[in-house]
Amino acid sequence: MKTLLIAALAGVSMLAINSAQAVERGGTLTFARYDDSNLVDPVYADRNPDIWMVTNLYDTLLRTKADGKTIVPGLASGYEVSADGKTISITLRDGIKFSDGSAITPADVKFSLERATNPDFGPWSGLLGSVESITATDNGVTLAMKNPDPTIISILATFNTAIVSKAAFEAAPGANDQEKATALFASGTPVSGPFTLKDRTRGSTMTFSANPHYWRQGEDGKPLPYLDEVSFVVIPDDATRILKLQAGEVNGAEFVPFSRVAELKADPAINMELYPSTRIIYSPINSRETRADGSPNPMATKEARQALNYAINKDALVQLITHGTGKSMTSPLMASTTQLAHDGGPLYPYDVAKAKELAAASGLEGAEITLTTLAGSSDDATLFAAIQQMWGAIGVNVKVEQVDNPTRGAKNRSGEFDIHTYGWVNDVNDPAQVAGWLGYYPTRKAVGTGWNNAEFNSLFEASNTEIDPEKRSEQYKRMQEIYADAAPLLFLYETPFAVALSANVNGYLQTPLGNNEFSSAWIAK
Amino acid sequence: MSSLSYLVSRLLQIIPTFLLVMVVIFLLVRMLPGDPAIAMADAKATEAQLELIRQKLGLNEPLVMQFFYFVKNTLSGDMGTSILLKAPVLDVIIERIPVTAFLTLYAVCLSILIAGPLAFVAALNKNRGLDIAIRSGFQVGLSTPVFYIGLLLLTFLAASLRLFPVGGYGTTFLQHLHHLMLPALTVALYTSAIIMRNLRSAVIEVLDADYVQFARSKGLSRSVILGRHVLRNALISTVTLLGLSIGNLMSGTLVTETVFAVPGLGRLMLEAIFARDYPLIQGLTLTFAVMVSLVFLFTDMVQAWLDPRLRLS
Repeated sequence: MKTLLIAALAGVSMLAINSAQAVERGGTLTFARYDDSNLVDPVYADRNPDIWMVTNLYDTLLRTKADGKTIVPGLASGYEVSADGKTISITLRDGIKFSDGSAITPADVKFSLERATNPDFGPWSGLLGSVESITATDNGVTLAMKNPDPTIISILATFNTAIVSKAAFEAAPGANDQEKATALFASGTPVSGPFTLKDRTRGSTMTFSANPHYWRQGEDGKPLPYLDEVSFVVIPDDATRILKLQAGEVNGAEFVPFSRVAELKADPAINMELYPSTRIIYSPINSRETRADGSPNPMATKEARQALNYAINKDALVQLITHGTGKSMTSPLMASTTQLAHDGGPLYPYDVAKAKELAAASGLEGAEITLTTLAGSSDDATLFAAIQQMWGAIGVNVKVEQVDNPTRGAKNRSGEFDIHTYGWVNDVNDPAQVAGWLGYYPTRKAVGTGWNNAEFNSLFEASNTEIDPEKRSEQYKRMQEIYADAAPLLFLYETPFAVALSANVNGYLQTPLGNNEFSSAWIAK
Repeated sequence: MSSLSYLVSRLLQIIPTFLLVMVVIFLLVRMLPGDPAIAMADAKATEAQLELIRQKLGLNEPLVMQFFYFVKNTLSGDMGTSILLKAPVLDVIIERIPVTAFLTLYAVCLSILIAGPLAFVAALNKNRGLDIAIRSGFQVGLSTPVFYIGLLLLTFLAASLRLFPVGGYGTTFLQHLHHLMLPALTVALYTSAIIMRNLRSAVIEVLDADYVQFARSKGLSRSVILGRHVLRNALISTVTLLGLSIGNLMSGTLVTETVFAVPGLGRLMLEAIFARDYPLIQGLTLTFAVMVSLVFLFTDMVQAWLDPRLRLS
């Protein structure tokens, strides 16, 4: 018995040693992307292929852990928020350097944060709207706030506040900040992140090299990253990207269509990963009293919109469109991976009897509703064909119109639609962005639905200055209740990020916000 | 008329074509549905951000002024800045012209290599088994969508047999030849089907012509008749067709370059259209127009060389 125990203990410790030693350094990871990065810069990154690469080149003061929720120290070793929430003191880590070996100083941090707050630079300055001024101290910076801001800590862990080199910007050619940022991206500027840009051919390839001065330690006690290089190839076609992986020409391929997931899972040479995401697919419902042409809107009452929701079998849609990889939305305002998401179980579970009752009561029966679908999108086509059938059961007639993406966007803004689909991924590790987008009328008319609820709006405004986490959580719970009940959306489903990697790739991560994290990736030889 | 003055007169004819193309592109782009500012910005963009984009593009100016600036800037070599790529349109296009030119030229060569010999074989075996087999084979090529042929080639020749890389462009000349083999073949299969049919009937027609009968009765050898009399005369209409199909070839690159991840003008055009990147769409369409015009010019020169009557008329 004793021997057994010793053997077992030895086995366990062997395992522990093995996993600690398992990390292997060196090599190049080749990764097939669906689109190219055009300008990877904290403040000008405005498309996902740019945004999702920023933190590989530029580190943030604080970092978000892999769960997408927990904030941990980054270039800053710590921070302190004053009792009134109006002063935030940030302490920089000792000995941190840019990739050229120069020190990362409080002046660099001040410069970077001031760029991030400048409304003339890029679309993200609003995220730092509560910051009054930034002062450099001996070992960090102090933020003076116009008002307490519960989101600010999350924002300091977001790509747009990543730290750039002040000296490099000042020395860069260019008449304005954007030209300088473009020049620096082209020349591979000194950076603060785990990788530096080695070379790039617009539209086709990009290579990152390990930053020899990066501060974060790996599992083997040496600085990250483990890889020597990451080499990106741009392959817009889904099928070609997967073929490239199957042919062994790349180690990873992102945005695998869900219809291919099962097949790739069965392939022993491929590690098919489904990373939890903040991505939701939903349909705004025009909730105004009248349609854009002035005719009465059959979807104006919440009962009508509830009926439409109850009449949809979301589990069937998850099977049909995401091939079982997604799941029905459980929080009306966000994905379940978002902070403060209140999981109230399945939203409007499939219930035809209830839907019929509500439809009859709200005068929805016999109404004609137009579904605006995206031309060429097979997901939209499948989705709306299924919905057309499901709504037949409650006496709703469906008309389908096909438009392209810009037209859909214009219709959403002008309110000239009944129902269409949209997708969303959080850019920020705080629920304020998605809640503002979907529900707060002044942002974008509650994602174009025209739904305008005074209680929701004032709760949202209050939550943006509420620094007591419990109170804020209560506010969010209430906002989600109001939103679920009013149903200005068809609450559809969440989808993961599907990335296929060759079996010897370890430690790669796509975060719930979509960021491609290569710092801890390694290849087993 | 001398060859030189013929060339000059043909070059001068390009100018009105070019101006007409500018008007058409300018209007076409503006007739696309959807606000370009909305298309270019993220859905999350605020009204103020949209307004900024409209200002940048001069979309608030009257149409006539917009056209005036477009012509003026284009003539001075400034095609504007791509909203999508955040880079000067001219730079981006210059980067990509060699890729598409390489692919198109490669496809033309392959089309000729495939279609030429087979057309002769088919014509010489008119309505016999071999002729029917060749024609049916090309019919399949003609009726299959380009992207599908591309995927089939990729799946079998690249992914399974590993004879070619799956997509990409490479860096050296030999790598380009290797990488672009499959996309060029994809485009060539379609074009060669058209050329083969035309060349076959041309050869059949010429074979029956009086001067060929005369050459035969003179006792000239079969190879001399085919080489000197039949080929040269049959080629005249085929060269015209090849020149005309260059437009087809280039529109084919839109799909092929996307499927094969080739960083050329075609793929860029597709991306630009989806993003409603006005400056980039305008720049690319102009580039395509110039390229097609030059090819037509070249076709005319070759025709004039093949058929001296054209030079003299």
